[in-house]
Amino acid sequence: MMQHLTSDTLIDYIHEELDATADAAALAHLQTCAECSAAYEAEARLNEALKTLPSAELPPMVKARIWEAVRNEQASPYARLIAFFRPAVAVPVAAALAVALYFVSPFAHRAPAGPTVDANYYLEQHAADEIGNPLGERSVSSTVLETSDAPGTAPSLGTGTAAAAALNAVE
Amino acid sequence: MGVPRRPVEAPTPEQAAFLERAIQEYGKATYNFAYRLTQNESDARDLTQDAFIRVYRAWRSFQPGTSFLSWIYRIVTNLYRDELRRRKGRFHEEIPEDNAPQEFGGSRPLAVTPIEDYVEGQLSEPLSRALGLLSPEQRQVVILADIEEYSYQEISEIMGCSIGTVRSRLHRARALLRRLIQRTQERT
Repeated sequence: MMQHLTSDTLIDYIHEELDATADAAALAHLQTCAECSAAYEAEARLNEALKTLPSAELPPMVKARIWEAVRNEQASPYARLIAFFRPAVAVPVAAALAVALYFVSPFAHRAPAGPTVDANYYLEQHAADEIGNPLGERSVSSTVLETSDAPGTAPSLGTGTAAAAALNAVE
Repeated sequence: MGVPRRPVEAPTPEQAAFLERAIQEYGKATYNFAYRLTQNESDARDLTQDAFIRVYRAWRSFQPGTSFLSWIYRIVTNLYRDELRRRKGRFHEEIPEDNAPQEFGGSRPLAVTPIEDYVEGQLSEPLSRALGLLSPEQRQVVILADIEEYSYQEISEIMGCSIGTVRSRLHRARALLRRLIQRTQERT
């Protein structure tokens, strides 16, 4: 004869939570075992008693309080403000503001601070150095020739102009 | 007991209608569930109110075709759990779930209990009291399995635990219920 059913098995059997094989075995055992059958009846009776526990209607004040709470949340200006700034809105707004500030701000496009060189000063100094240096690419004569070029003519290289001046001198 | 205040958007007619219908159809069941969990009217009212406010706020997350009752029971369960943690056991004294003596062990055949001698009307009062003496988790699993007739799978989803936990809690809870009822009978 099969072992008696445990209380755990009976509880699972009552709740139809046994697998098919165990369920069939429990049923077969209950049909032949008076002791387990009595235990099953006791468990089933407990179930019935639990199902017949008295229930109450929802107190009307609960419904009223729910609606009141909902209305209060909507009515609060602070709540509306916070609702507006919830992440779904606040993040895109913050991003748009950041982009706008970037383009509008006069500081956004300022070049990084650093030493500056006056171009005219640099050119004058360079020309002076070249004049004073006989081995430079611009000698006194070439400088003179270059400066005497007619307006509109293409500028020539310093070395080429110096060679032409030398030829003219020989002639 | 209270849901942390969080602002909501202006309600749409659908949202208001959703809440109205939810209260109308499931308010009673939710209140009774809350009452059986908390074992007192004041906490049950607060729990029910907070649960429906959550429903109102999260109405879009409800998936049509699924059980609304399971959804709101899950909300009630979570709120109740949070409240228990907040109060740190001031709700009531809990009976240690794992250390409670078990008269009817899982390996022993079940004895016939005095429950048999009770008629339905006589049982409800001691049974209600006995339910109140279970731990919150045990009481909840008994309510869901035996009163609401949910499957173990559904209970595990509502309570956020495994099926094995549901099973063991139910076994312990029912064994304890039987013992408490027997004790009550012996006193009378």
